[in-house]
Amino acid sequence: MSFLMIFLSEMMRMTRRGTMKAVLVALLLSLDAAVCLAFPQRPQPERLVNDFAGIFTPSQVAALESTLVAFDDSTSNQITVVTVLDLEGDTSASYAYRIGEQWGVGGQAFNNGVVLLIKPRTERSGGEVSIQVGYGLEGAIPDIYCKRIIDNSLLPHFRNGEMYEGTVAACKDLMDLASGEISQPREYGSAEDDVKEILLRLFLFFLVMYILIKITNRRGHGGGGWGGGSGSDFGRHVYIGPINSWDWGTGRGGTGSFGGGGFGGGFGGFGGGHFGGGGASGSW
Amino acid sequence: MKKSLIVIAVIAVAVLGIFVWVKNTYNRLVQSEEGVTAAWAQVENVYQRRADLIPNLVATVKGYAEHERETLEAVTAARANATKVTVSPDQLDEQSIAAFQAAQNQLSGALGRLIAIAENYPDLKANQNFSDLQAQLEGTENRIAVERQKFNDEALAYNRQVRVFPDNIIASIFGLRTKGYFKASEGAENAPKVEF
Repeated sequence: MSFLMIFLSEMMRMTRRGTMKAVLVALLLSLDAAVCLAFPQRPQPERLVNDFAGIFTPSQVAALESTLVAFDDSTSNQITVVTVLDLEGDTSASYAYRIGEQWGVGGQAFNNGVVLLIKPRTERSGGEVSIQVGYGLEGAIPDIYCKRIIDNSLLPHFRNGEMYEGTVAACKDLMDLASGEISQPREYGSAEDDVKEILLRLFLFFLVMYILIKITNRRGHGGGGWGGGSGSDFGRHVYIGPINSWDWGTGRGGTGSFGGGGFGGGFGGFGGGHFGGGGASGSW
Repeated sequence: MKKSLIVIAVIAVAVLGIFVWVKNTYNRLVQSEEGVTAAWAQVENVYQRRADLIPNLVATVKGYAEHERETLEAVTAARANATKVTVSPDQLDEQSIAAFQAAQNQLSGALGRLIAIAENYPDLKANQNFSDLQAQLEGTENRIAVERQKFNDEALAYNRQVRVFPDNIIASIFGLRTKGYFKASEGAENAPKVEF
């Protein structure tokens, strides 16, 4: 009997400790979530210039954004400029890498994203800058080139306080290098899949046409009760349906290369590119 | 007669169910293991990239800091040692990875001392070739950090699958073992600090 009592109280203790543990875990998790919140989430709506530190004027942001979006549209390379006031104890390279990987800068097929992270000088800390290059552009923009862009284009301007001029110069260099490697007009959705789908649909189209012609021919010869009218009715049902589904069924109209509406088309969104840590950093 | 038919049918359904379960679980585990192997290949890739940079770096430093022979030789020796320690993709257990990491950390330490020495030679610091190599080394250290993290993520996902019930039964039948991890703290202590 006493054994059972001990057993029961032990069980009670364990469950109580279990709940304590659960509470502790929940606390830690919420702490973790709070820490994560400090890291800039993928912006909504998505945009390429994210001036969290507020070092550019609105018109500068707009000009830079439209240049980078146009570059994205014409070559599919995505260069994003992010400015923050605090790196949260991280190195600039690691911080920029995390932005690239978590936001998915660059296309999934090419991994052709670039992150330009700028942490401006503040009263308490020096300025830091990092360029991180997606896997697909590591050949076009090697680490040495990133270093030279930082040393020769960015930092001379930044040291004079010309944040916008330095950023524009760096973006121009990056665009020159990136377009040499991957220069494919923007296609929303994978181009390869689209080609395959079109071919498949063409094949099906001709197959259906062929069968229909055969059938109507045979019917025609067989004559009799099946009037010509009813035969062509049948045909319209079968093959006009698929034609409609080619043009509208793939849903590409909705994926938004023209989604921005108004002027010149907005940014279509980050593509889910991956980063491997390539690039360079500097400070001033 | 009828009874035995029902029994046979039940057994057949049960056998089929077990087969499908085993097949799905095994395939999932193998796919996950392939992810770990691929991540390991990337890890070796980036470490190799670092090893490839070193002869050039040593040669450049030698031109300016001839009498730092000891440090230079330490780097060369550590590199030779590190390239010798390889892990085959089907042996990614705790010990192999620890041995691999120890050898690479030794090289990291030697490299760190080499870079620190370079600070004392203004001519060397001004050398374009050296600063290029430093930029490459910095990028490579970042790549190593990234790929190690990705490997650990893959290994964690795989290990979870191998250890949960009832998948662990399938894993042990087919001899799928848990993978080791990179230990974060060791690497962080010894990674060479590249200052500019």
